[in-house]
Amino acid sequence: MSELSNLYQQTILRHNKSPYHYGRPETSDVVLEAYNPLCGDKYKIYLDVVEDRIDKAYFFGYGCAISKASTSVLVQRLEGKKLSAILELCQHFLESLVRENADIAEDEELAAFSAARQFPGRLKCASLSWDSLIEYLEISEE
Amino acid sequence: MITTKLPDIRTDFPLLCQTSGDLAPIAYLDNAATTQKPQVVIDAMHHFYLHNNANVHRGVYGLAVAATQAYEAVRDKVCRFLNAADRREIVFTKGTTESINLVAQSLGDEVLKPGDEVLITAMEHHSNLIPWQMLCKRIGARLRVIPMDDRGALKLENLSDLLNDRTRILAMVHISNSLGTINPVKKIIQKAREKGILVLVDGAQSVAHLPVDVQDLDCDFFVCSGHKLFGPTGVGVLYGKKSWLERMQPYQYGGEMIKTVSFERSEFADLPHKFEAGTPNIAGVVGLGAAIDYIETIGRPAICYYLANLAEYALHQLREIDGLTIVGNAPSRSCIFSFTMEGIHPHDVATILDQQGVAVRAGHHCTEPVMDFFGIPGTIRASFALYNIKDEVDRLVAGLREAQHIFS
Ligand SMILES: Cc1ncc(COP(=O)(O)O)c(C=O)c1O
Repeated sequence: MSELSNLYQQTILRHNKSPYHYGRPETSDVVLEAYNPLCGDKYKIYLDVVEDRIDKAYFFGYGCAISKASTSVLVQRLEGKKLSAILELCQHFLESLVRENADIAEDEELAAFSAARQFPGRLKCASLSWDSLIEYLEISEE
Repeated sequence: MITTKLPDIRTDFPLLCQTSGDLAPIAYLDNAATTQKPQVVIDAMHHFYLHNNANVHRGVYGLAVAATQAYEAVRDKVCRFLNAADRREIVFTKGTTESINLVAQSLGDEVLKPGDEVLITAMEHHSNLIPWQMLCKRIGARLRVIPMDDRGALKLENLSDLLNDRTRILAMVHISNSLGTINPVKKIIQKAREKGILVLVDGAQSVAHLPVDVQDLDCDFFVCSGHKLFGPTGVGVLYGKKSWLERMQPYQYGGEMIKTVSFERSEFADLPHKFEAGTPNIAGVVGLGAAIDYIETIGRPAICYYLANLAEYALHQLREIDGLTIVGNAPSRSCIFSFTMEGIHPHDVATILDQQGVAVRAGHHCTEPVMDFFGIPGTIRASFALYNIKDEVDRLVAGLREAQHIFS
């Protein structure tokens, strides 16, 4: 059971229960969709972008505790950050789902998702929204 | 004699006896997806490759004759198992999906014209929906649906409207893989017969659980998969009435399905070989034969009775859990249970159960329209087979309570 309580630990359960900025703003500059057709999890991520920074971020949608919590912690970390810094964070986070990443390991909240490494069937849940955001950032960089 | 107990058959299934460390053996409750294989099936395939392997229908040497005999003997066995009238009505395919596609493609053009209707039910597996949807699109025919009520039982009040002058084909599932509903197929087939409508029954979930008699059902086609019947993957059956199979075009072209070939024209083989192009899954068919023998040794009435009791117990235990909603409460149901849990996503439940050695399925179970009907993205599904025991129901229930505890 220890492995299990590792995945469903407090950070994840807390964010699942009370996700950060969970709602649909009336207007937003960018709307991203994070969708996993295999399980049906689907979130919309609403971003206001001011120059090269994300000013406001919200999300709304439906999915499992892992995908919801991971979207919540993602959204919580976007506001006020530069797009380039966000891209780097996303890359580190996604790496942490495959192997140890020093930056993420020090960050208790993000490190909680590293437990998904033990659950290959659930990795996509942890990476879903981060994948969508990276795709957007990489396109806008070009 | 029928009892609520089956002989101790768990030991017939090596995978169910496997343990790792001090963990209990797996409680395998995903039998609607595929079943485990008894040692006799594994042995039969092993034996075939060790001693009888050759291609079928071609060689004159002894080994090829033995392989052909082993393969064709299973056709007789399936014929008896489904009580078909003629062994030529049994076609080997790679599974239910291929059997349905075969019928939709080979028969569709024969009987469907623009404006005609194909009728399915609201609870079809995607494999008994999309082939018809595509066929209708291609021909300009209309796909119609027998609706269901919120218990997941078919609504048959307006059946006579749905089975109308334009209806040519009715394709319906015998037991729903996502709701567990047992449909009154015989009654519906009678109605369709009166109007000369062709009927295909998707028996993927029913053959392992109910005695099936295709002549008694009077369906034109009956399809099923070996792997849900304790047999290997990659082999399935299409039963079709001879009169229809004879009229139908081949599904695939190639070796084994011809009489004579020249560059100008080819003459196709007689039934059933006309529909078995290429080298078939010979060892798979042999394994299927062993699976049928296995089921028949235990007896389908005994299996049916045992599972009805287990289902009753499971239903009772699941209903005891607050916050659990069973999706699919038809009066006539099998031992497939779909449910949701308040505030917990099906995938989270399945992961937590997995960690306790209980294997269930979570998701839409290839029946997205069913999930849409109930307004849910998916369910947790526990489906039982003849080797499951009450103790596994208890492990399921304990796991569900643990999930509730973690998410409380
Ligand atoms: C009712 C039903 N129909 C069709 C199928 C498809 O069977 P297969 O994947 O073996 O072709 C299934 C299997 O999941 C099923 O449960």
